[in-house]
Amino acid sequence: MLLRQEALKLDLPLTATRLKRFIKDYVEKTKAEGAVLNLSGGIDSATATALATLALGKNKVVALSLPERETRSALDLKHTKMLAEKFGFSLETIDITNILQAYYKTIPAFDPKERLCKGNIKARARMTCLYYYANRQNRIAVGSSDKSESMIGYFTKWGDVAADISPLMDLYKTQVRQLAAHIGVPRQIIAKPSTPQLWPGQLAEDELGIKYEALDLILLGLENFIAAEEIAEQLDLPLKLIEEVKARWLSNEHKRRAPLTMKMEYRTIGADFRLPYTPP
Amino acid sequence: MPDKITIALGQISCQVGDKKHNIEIMKKKIAQAKKAKVDMIAFPELSLTGYMVRDRAYELAEPVPNGPSVQEIEKIAKNEDIHIIFGMIERNPKASAILHNTSVLIGPKGYIGKYRKMHLPTHSVFEEKRYFRPGYQAPVFETAAGKIGMMICYDVYFPEITRLMSLEGAKLIVCISASPSIRRGFFETLTAARAMENTVFLAFVNLAGVQDGLQFWGGSRILAPSGSLISQAKYDVDDFISATINYQDINRVQAWAPVLRDLRPEVYTSLRKKTENL
Repeated sequence: MLLRQEALKLDLPLTATRLKRFIKDYVEKTKAEGAVLNLSGGIDSATATALATLALGKNKVVALSLPERETRSALDLKHTKMLAEKFGFSLETIDITNILQAYYKTIPAFDPKERLCKGNIKARARMTCLYYYANRQNRIAVGSSDKSESMIGYFTKWGDVAADISPLMDLYKTQVRQLAAHIGVPRQIIAKPSTPQLWPGQLAEDELGIKYEALDLILLGLENFIAAEEIAEQLDLPLKLIEEVKARWLSNEHKRRAPLTMKMEYRTIGADFRLPYTPP
Repeated sequence: MPDKITIALGQISCQVGDKKHNIEIMKKKIAQAKKAKVDMIAFPELSLTGYMVRDRAYELAEPVPNGPSVQEIEKIAKNEDIHIIFGMIERNPKASAILHNTSVLIGPKGYIGKYRKMHLPTHSVFEEKRYFRPGYQAPVFETAAGKIGMMICYDVYFPEITRLMSLEGAKLIVCISASPSIRRGFFETLTAARAMENTVFLAFVNLAGVQDGLQFWGGSRILAPSGSLISQAKYDVDDFISATINYQDINRVQAWAPVLRDLRPEVYTSLRKKTENL
C-alpha cells in the first residue's frame, strides 16, 4: 500500500450523501426533534453543523457557540455567524465564563497553573450545555470529532468527544477538509489552524508537533497494519516520530471505550453484551 | 422446467428486530411483484429481522419450516401464487440454542426448502460465527420457476458453492445479502464472476438503508449466464426491480463458453488436501 495523499481522496458526493442519510436516519429512528451541536468556529464543528443542516433542514438544527473569557476569539465568533447565515440553522451564543469561574472557585484542589486540567473543565462544561439542550429539546447531540484526533486521543475524555453520534469520526482531518469544501463550508474556516480552545494560543499542529497531512498518512499506515519502519521509509520521516504516534494511538484506547470493569458474571457490559443501537 | 420466468428483487431497509414490520414491507413489494406478473421474488439476507440484531438473535430465531413467520409467508405465497425467497434466523430443531443464518424458499404450494449459510464472516464489523453454526449443504431445488440454488452474501467469495450448485443442475442462483458499503466493489465483481464461470443466471439481492452505522449499499442485480447485467437496482436506498429471464440462454452461452465441460476433477483432490494443510 502506498501512503500518498491520493489514498485519502474521497468520493465526495457519495460521502456527503451517506453521512447526511446517517444523521437523518438516526434522528428518525430515535424520534428526536432534531440535532444540537457545539460550534466552535473550527473546521470539524462547522462541517458537522453544515452536514446536519443539509440532512435535517435548517429548522431542525441548533448550534451552540460557547465562548469564554480566556480563549474568546472574535474571528471564531465571526465564523460561527457566517456559517449560520449561510446554512440557516439557529445559533445560540452563550458566554460560559461564569460557569467556569464557579468551578474554579468551588473545587478545593483547583490549580490554575495546571492548564490541561483547567482546559478539560472547559470542554466538559461545553458538553454539559450540549446535553442540556439535547435533553430539554429532545435533540440528538451530534459530535464533530474526526478520526485523526480520535485515534491519537487528542480530545477531552467525556468532553468535546461526548455525543450520541459522530458522523465525522471515520474521516481523517485532511478528509474533513475535502468534505468541508464540497458541502460549502467557507474557505476562511477551512484554512484556519485547528485549536481545541483549552487555553489561549493553543494550536493543534504546534502542540502535536506534526502537520495533519503527515499525521493522517502515518495513521492510515497504522490502520492498515503497516510496520512503523515501513511507514517511516515511505514518508521519509524519523522512525521515532512514527513510534510516538503509534504509542499515542495505543495508549489512548481508554478514552475511546466504555469504562473497563472487572468481569464477574457470564455476560458483562462492554465485554459481552452486544445489542442493536436503535431498537424498534 | 419453464423456459422463461420473471424474477423480482425486493431491495428493502429493515427495522432491526421488528419481524411484523418487515413482513409488512415484504408484502408491499410482493403486491408490486404481482402487478409485474412475477413468478419469484427474493428479499435480502436476514430480511425478516434486520441484519444488526446482535444478541437479540436468540429471541428472534424461529424453526424452519414450522415457525410462525415461515407459516405466515407460506400463506402469502399461496394467496399470491408466487415463489418467495427471504432470509431469517433459524433455530435448530435438535438443539434450540444453535442458530443458523438461513435462506428460505417457499412456492405457491408451500414450503420448498432452505439453505444455511456456509461461510460466516467474523471479521471487521461481522460477528456471525459468534451466533451461527454454518451449513454443510448446498442443495438445489426443482421448482415451477426452474432449478434453483441459494447462497448468502459472503458465500459469494467462495466459488465452490456456486460450482457445487451448478454441477447439481442449478440454472438460477439466488444470492441474498446484507453487504455494507465498503464491500460494494468486491460484490460487483464476484457476482458477475460466479454467473460467468458457471454459465448460470445469478440474482443478487442486497439490503438497503442504515443499521448501527452501516450503510447497506443495495445495488441488487440480475446477471445473465455471460456475466452481463440484465437489471440493477439503485444504490443505498429501497428499490424494486424485475426482469424476465430465458433459461435457453444458458445453452447459447455454454456453446461459446463451455466451462462445465472443461472442468478438471483431479484439481479438486489436490485442492482439498492443500486446504486441509493450510
